Amino acid sequence: MELIVQVCVSGLLLGGIYALISIGLNLIFGVVRIINFAHGEMVMVAMYLTFWLNYFFGMDPYVSTLIVLPVMFLFGVIIQRIIVQPIQNSSANMKIFATVALSLILQNVALIVCKGNFRTVQVSYGMGTMEWGGIFISIPRLVAFFAALLSISLLYYFLKNTYTGKALRAIVEDHTIARLMGVKVQKLYLLAFGIGCAFSALGGVLLMPFSSVYPTVGIPFTLIAFIVVVLGGLGSMGGTFLAGLFIGVVEAVGGTYVSPALKEAIYFGIFIIAILIRPQGIFGKGKGSEEVGLK
Amino acid sequence: MRNNKLKTAAAIFLLGLLAVPLYFTSTFVLHMFTLVFFYIALTAAWNIPAFGGKFSLGHAAFFGLGGYTAAILYVKLGISPFIGVVAGTFVAMLGGVILSFPLVRLKGPFFTLASIAFAEVLRMVAVDWRSLTNGSVGINIPFKPSWLNLTFTSGAPFYYMALGLALLVIGLAWWIRSSSLGYHLRAAAADEDAARALGINTAKAHFMGLMWSSGLTGMIAVFYVFYNYVLEPGTAFSMDLFSLQPAMNGIIGGMGTVWGPVIGAIIMTPLGEFLRFYLGTIQQGLNFVVYGLMLIAVVNFVPGGIVSLIEPWFKKKKSGDSSAADN
Amino acid sequence: MDDLLVVKDLTKNFGGLAAVSEVSFEVRRGEILGLIGPNGAGKTTLFNLISGLLASDRGSIKLEGEDLTKKPPYKRSAMGVGRTFQVVRPFDMTVLENVMVPTFAHYKTSKEAKEKAFEILKMVRMDKLADKMPANLTLAQRKRIEVARALATKPKLLLLDEVLAGLNPTEVAENLPLIRQVRDSGVTILFIEHLMDAMMAISERVLVMDQGVLIACGTPDEVTSDRCVITAYLGEEAPGC
Ligand SMILES: Nc1ncnc2c1ncn2[C@@H]1O[C@H](COP(=O)(O)OP(=O)(O)O)[C@@H](O)[C@H]1O
Ligand SMILES: [Mg+2]
Repeated sequence: MELIVQVCVSGLLLGGIYALISIGLNLIFGVVRIINFAHGEMVMVAMYLTFWLNYFFGMDPYVSTLIVLPVMFLFGVIIQRIIVQPIQNSSANMKIFATVALSLILQNVALIVCKGNFRTVQVSYGMGTMEWGGIFISIPRLVAFFAALLSISLLYYFLKNTYTGKALRAIVEDHTIARLMGVKVQKLYLLAFGIGCAFSALGGVLLMPFSSVYPTVGIPFTLIAFIVVVLGGLGSMGGTFLAGLFIGVVEAVGGTYVSPALKEAIYFGIFIIAILIRPQGIFGKGKGSEEVGLK
Repeated sequence: MRNNKLKTAAAIFLLGLLAVPLYFTSTFVLHMFTLVFFYIALTAAWNIPAFGGKFSLGHAAFFGLGGYTAAILYVKLGISPFIGVVAGTFVAMLGGVILSFPLVRLKGPFFTLASIAFAEVLRMVAVDWRSLTNGSVGINIPFKPSWLNLTFTSGAPFYYMALGLALLVIGLAWWIRSSSLGYHLRAAAADEDAARALGINTAKAHFMGLMWSSGLTGMIAVFYVFYNYVLEPGTAFSMDLFSLQPAMNGIIGGMGTVWGPVIGAIIMTPLGEFLRFYLGTIQQGLNFVVYGLMLIAVVNFVPGGIVSLIEPWFKKKKSGDSSAADN
Repeated sequence: MDDLLVVKDLTKNFGGLAAVSEVSFEVRRGEILGLIGPNGAGKTTLFNLISGLLASDRGSIKLEGEDLTKKPPYKRSAMGVGRTFQVVRPFDMTVLENVMVPTFAHYKTSKEAKEKAFEILKMVRMDKLADKMPANLTLAQRKRIEVARALATKPKLLLLDEVLAGLNPTEVAENLPLIRQVRDSGVTILFIEHLMDAMMAISERVLVMDQGVLIACGTPDEVTSDRCVITAYLGEEAPGC
């Protein structure tokens, strides 16, 4: 009994990071309508940046957000401008090819530059735990969870209450609106890609104190983010958040009670079952689900 | 007249290919040809669902299922690989049945994701299920040369088998594309709703396409595994070797056409080997950076793949033929 | 009365918008039935419901007494419902291949399918363009591909969605007899058209839709003198409509 609560809490906290990464994807997909197969690689790049800042300058991972986030925002903007924008009107398959290519390039440049080793950041609080009612809670995971909650709330506020945020939401709701916006829409695309990228980057930074980075670390994140977005519903922040936590818990429970090697198999199974029985997403209303084919 | 000339040229070319093992005793040359044939077959099989616009990045799943089935039957139960080929094909098709759920329910990109996840899951299962697969250690095919064991002392038999497989799959792909299934898939790729309104059960067409594709991939895998003597989860279910590589060949050659995969495999296989073994020793991963750049170039400049550059030229020749025939 | 198609209380809402509401009518075997109404009246949506591309919220559709309401589009097509699209949707293949696609439902080998498709192209006078790609053709020609493809399914009921719209007067004059010819070959026709003259010239009965509702039904003369129809087209409010 104790163990199951312990496992669920730890999964829930990890789920906060998944939610963060997935919300980045949701925003990019909702606004730019591109399936970013290189999404997990954004996490990977951010993790390496965090690692280097620590390695060369001894910078604390949490402090390094001040550098990593703006850099990754810019990185997203550049990708949108030079990779995605030229093929905006190509077929869906062409867009997949382009982002698959990007993911290949990023993975293998990472391999060339950093070699295949697992890299970790040593921080004093990396293994730190606190006890609360007999349950041990990892401190970096707890920090990650609350940082995720805070940044998602900030994004939510931005989308709800600012002019630009409203414009972004309008595009997510009805993409024909994008055509009416003319020149400005390209700027919004750049912004959405930048923000989406920064969110996944934040996920990467928050992971660094308690996990390691290697060139292919991003692949599962791409899959997880898509599963979360499909479960949570496109354009639905709340749904994505809940679905992220859900996958975190499923992973932790599956990894503990079934087999650590099969945890990904388990949420893939959930993904398949979910699209068969509830194609509109488990939590969200699934705006734009028609484009996914989940009619 | 011209058409006949083309046929003669093709026949001479084939005869030349048949003679290669007689003149080249270098294992390297033979290996390279064999590999190209295997990849032509794998890419052409991968390409069948692409007639219907469906793009898989998880064909390693079918490869692994086919290869593991035959290898386990042979090594653990002593069952001949010739029965293993049938079993492997069948098991790969069962994998196809599972992947057909997302195939018919999800639009392109999400099917692609599901296919990646599917292959990854099978890889993890192969690592985890040690009693059956020996886990990440893998299975070695014992070296007992005999036709029945699909094990040979020279490279020539596999050269011919791989050539045969390549021709078989090209032939099947051509046949499928010009049969009702091919037309239905192409219609579904162009406009799913319009196809449905015209009486086409598009879900069934996609399903049939995947059945052909998965079965053929599983079958090719059995031969490939016996050619290599060894399989382990990291290679049999390898994203790089059997999911990305066929897809890359197909896209760069021309996805959804009969000859695109052939052209793609002929260009990309030697290039891949070169990058992997020559530059690869200096710098691992360089080959995929090159692939990535090529892919971006294709997407931006030749969306139809290399075949779309060659086709107009070829068509002109052909229509030239028919007008010549009229005269 | 021999009714081929019977539609009853058919309803479709898009969010709050009632695109088709409680529409009931029947199509008699062998007739040319016109369907008119201002833009956005719900005519195309009605076709989508009958052909099965959209699921209806309520109501029933019966073809020769058999209920199609829950059947997928390809089954409806096999049972005899053919349609064209208002916005032409040719497949990215030659004209002949476009027509071959549905032909395979009746002929298994591609040789037979090719011959049959060519016959149909002859009938719509497109045989000379068989090897062309649709993208290189005029709108009138592409609309003919739509008709040819629909005919290749061997429909009992053919739904034509604005096959004359966007054509110049000569092209209209050329395409109009085609519709009669198709009917005379034994196909019942329900067709949407904006061109009043063409509509009146060719249809035996006319349905009128406005804002998702069927507001009139009768011979062309009856309908044109109907007060509600006139207001629907002129956009004025008339009491009792
Ligand atoms: N798929 C759809 N989703 C939402 N609204 C739709 C959809 N299709 C049609 N509509 C709306 O339904 C109404 C009827 O459209 P339509 O049937 O195309 O009219 P018509 O063919 O008579 O011009 C219009 O207001 C249109 O905007
Ligand atoms: Mg309309």
